[in-house]
Amino acid sequence: MTNGEIRTSDGELLSVKLKKVESRKRTGALILVLPLLLFIIITYIFPIIQMLQRSVDNTQMNDLLNNTYQVIQNWDGSDFPPEEVVKTFYNDLKYLSENKLHGKIAVRLNYEKGGFSSLIKKTVRKLDSFDTNGNYLQQFKEIHKRWADQEYWLALKRATVPYHGRKYLASFDFKQDFDGSIVRIEEKKRINVTLWLRTIYVALGVTLCCLILAYPIAHLLSVLPTRYSNLLMICVLLPFWTSLLVRTSSWMVLLQTQGVLNDFLVFLGIVADENRLELMYNMTGTFIAMTQILLPFMVLPLYSVMKTISPSLMRAATSMGATPFHAFRKIYFPLTYAGISAGSILVFVLAIGYYITPALVGGAKGTLISNRIAYHMQSTLDWSYATAMATILLVGVLVVYYVYNRVVGIDNMRLG
Amino acid sequence: MQRLTKLISLAALLVAPSLATAAEVNVVSWGGAYTESQKLGYGDPYQEMSGVQVNWLDYQGNLDSIKSQVESGTITYDIIDVFAKDTITGCDEGYFVEFDFDNDFPPAPDGTPASQDFFAPMPSKCAVGNILYSWNYAYHTDNINFPGTYPSTIGDFFDPDKYPGKRSIYGSAMSNLEIALMADGVPSSEVYDYMLDNGIDRALDKLTELCTHPKGGCITWSAGAQPPEQLVSGEVIMATGWNGRHFNAIQKEGSPLKMVWDGQLLDYEYFALVNGGPNQEEAMKALQYFTSTEGLAGSAKHIAYAPFRISSLDVITAAEPWYYSEESGPLEIMPHMPTAPVNTENYLLLDPIFWADNETEINDQWDAWKSNTL
Repeated sequence: MTNGEIRTSDGELLSVKLKKVESRKRTGALILVLPLLLFIIITYIFPIIQMLQRSVDNTQMNDLLNNTYQVIQNWDGSDFPPEEVVKTFYNDLKYLSENKLHGKIAVRLNYEKGGFSSLIKKTVRKLDSFDTNGNYLQQFKEIHKRWADQEYWLALKRATVPYHGRKYLASFDFKQDFDGSIVRIEEKKRINVTLWLRTIYVALGVTLCCLILAYPIAHLLSVLPTRYSNLLMICVLLPFWTSLLVRTSSWMVLLQTQGVLNDFLVFLGIVADENRLELMYNMTGTFIAMTQILLPFMVLPLYSVMKTISPSLMRAATSMGATPFHAFRKIYFPLTYAGISAGSILVFVLAIGYYITPALVGGAKGTLISNRIAYHMQSTLDWSYATAMATILLVGVLVVYYVYNRVVGIDNMRLG
Repeated sequence: MQRLTKLISLAALLVAPSLATAAEVNVVSWGGAYTESQKLGYGDPYQEMSGVQVNWLDYQGNLDSIKSQVESGTITYDIIDVFAKDTITGCDEGYFVEFDFDNDFPPAPDGTPASQDFFAPMPSKCAVGNILYSWNYAYHTDNINFPGTYPSTIGDFFDPDKYPGKRSIYGSAMSNLEIALMADGVPSSEVYDYMLDNGIDRALDKLTELCTHPKGGCITWSAGAQPPEQLVSGEVIMATGWNGRHFNAIQKEGSPLKMVWDGQLLDYEYFALVNGGPNQEEAMKALQYFTSTEGLAGSAKHIAYAPFRISSLDVITAAEPWYYSEESGPLEIMPHMPTAPVNTENYLLLDPIFWADNETEINDQWDAWKSNTL
């Protein structure tokens, strides 16, 4: 006890010892969460990084046609490319066809401009009969009339850059014109903007429907005696535990024009047999099925908040002369804000990326942006287009999350 | 990133051998009655003959599963049953094995080399022909909405005034644009020339007229089994579809459906061998049997699709009634083939090169149309 330092029994400084213990605890905790951390990095973070990269990455095309890329960038895009560019392209093509790689550029050029697929193959078949002394452009034009269309050369120029943001433009129905300006695509081909707006509309609509339906249920759950509320809770949770696909297909059985619901309405005489309601393959179907499927995500956060509201508060309000409605509006409702916001963000975020349900019951009018992403993944195989749209969706969700966190605070999210 | 991919594939490699027991081949096809005909026609006989197990998997077209298998380095498919346009893309991308046609495939029994025995040249080096099938339409004969006469032309499909009720059409542009143009009076020989010259707009106008008509309306189908189901359930009164599926519903399920062959789209279907599949060598041998004279004739015993080999047709003609099912009994199959003279009075041969070239652009317009109209 000479200089006032506190030491432990083994003579170490207490502050140092404490730090050691703390750090050992931290390491222990880290080791415990390490499997989860690795799991998330491998299955979540890593694919997302790859996705982001894929949406702008065009290095494969750039590698295959690198010589052409070097010279075609100097062509300003007016008229036809100079002879030197065409000659380089010829040499690249010849090299690719000798190594059986021309198919890969045919597919990718075809994303840029329809018709390239057969154009490249026809051209490759005639490469050997080329007169290599000059006049390349003329010879290309003689092989196929499409080479006499400037659009194809411009597409070639666009398609060889190593990185590009064109798929992001295309996701909003824009494209880059030959002079570099950004313009909207032809009206009859515009589809993405419609789908983005529809997706937001459906997500908001479903959130609202869920809120209206879930609020009374959650309230009932929170005030009923335990044995009844448990039963009701099971009713809420049972669909939650049922496979999504099963629930969606049961909605298909119910909603068809020849389905249970329509049969029942016809039986009651509410609708005539020849005027059965169109409840499926349109927006109605998407709304009904998604609302039912996402309902538990609204009920649970609301319930967890309502459970904590003391019933004496409402009694106090009424005893001071408030009408039941007034007491609800002034006391009860504001106390459930946290639950409403938590439920709403959960439902909204889930709804905005919904895929199976709109794909099965939505028909053409009820398809959402996620179905469009799937279409590019599965059908056109243009994965950079699909990943660009997926990235936009991800960023959208992150923005919603950020706003929520600023306004309400993520700590308020509870599920029961 | 590459190291990680390597690690994962290494892990897969270590696991894979313990799973594979006997020799087997995984074949991916369109499911339902069609896969059944393939399984009974040549899958099972080959399995018995060679002892190699043939596994049949279902899919609904598209090369996405192959693409992801190739990219992840764990390919599970060996043989895949594909549209012509997909053999072109798959070949270009290197997903499929290129064939040395006459060396790889056995000649006809009379010695005609394979390339001569097949009806038409292959659309790509990676394709081997399988069947000829048809996109035609069918209706339900009990349907109360029909007046005295039944539909008989492609024009009737597009005439809701005469035949009120909903129609079911294929979910993509392929096939719909062609039949719309034919119904609009474009001669079948000019359909594709006309297509890029305002033809798409005209076809979509024709479809809009049908699908927005108060007495008409359209829904879409994506799986081959859907059109007969939708007809039988009464969801629609007419549906385009693959003739073998309609045929199957009529013969095996006794559904009162009837097909209209006017304006039918004839199309070829192909097999492709997946490059780097788990059992590539065995798969090649299986494929040789599947597409032999005997193999292709075998599948026609169970479905009304015409075999791609001329010699197979000879086998069938000589042994009619060739088709058999428990429900229908023995039946002469040749008059039910999409290639039968009575069915080919007005037909169009589908052009795969056109679709490989233009599908992406056309489908953009098609999807925009669909989401605004249907």
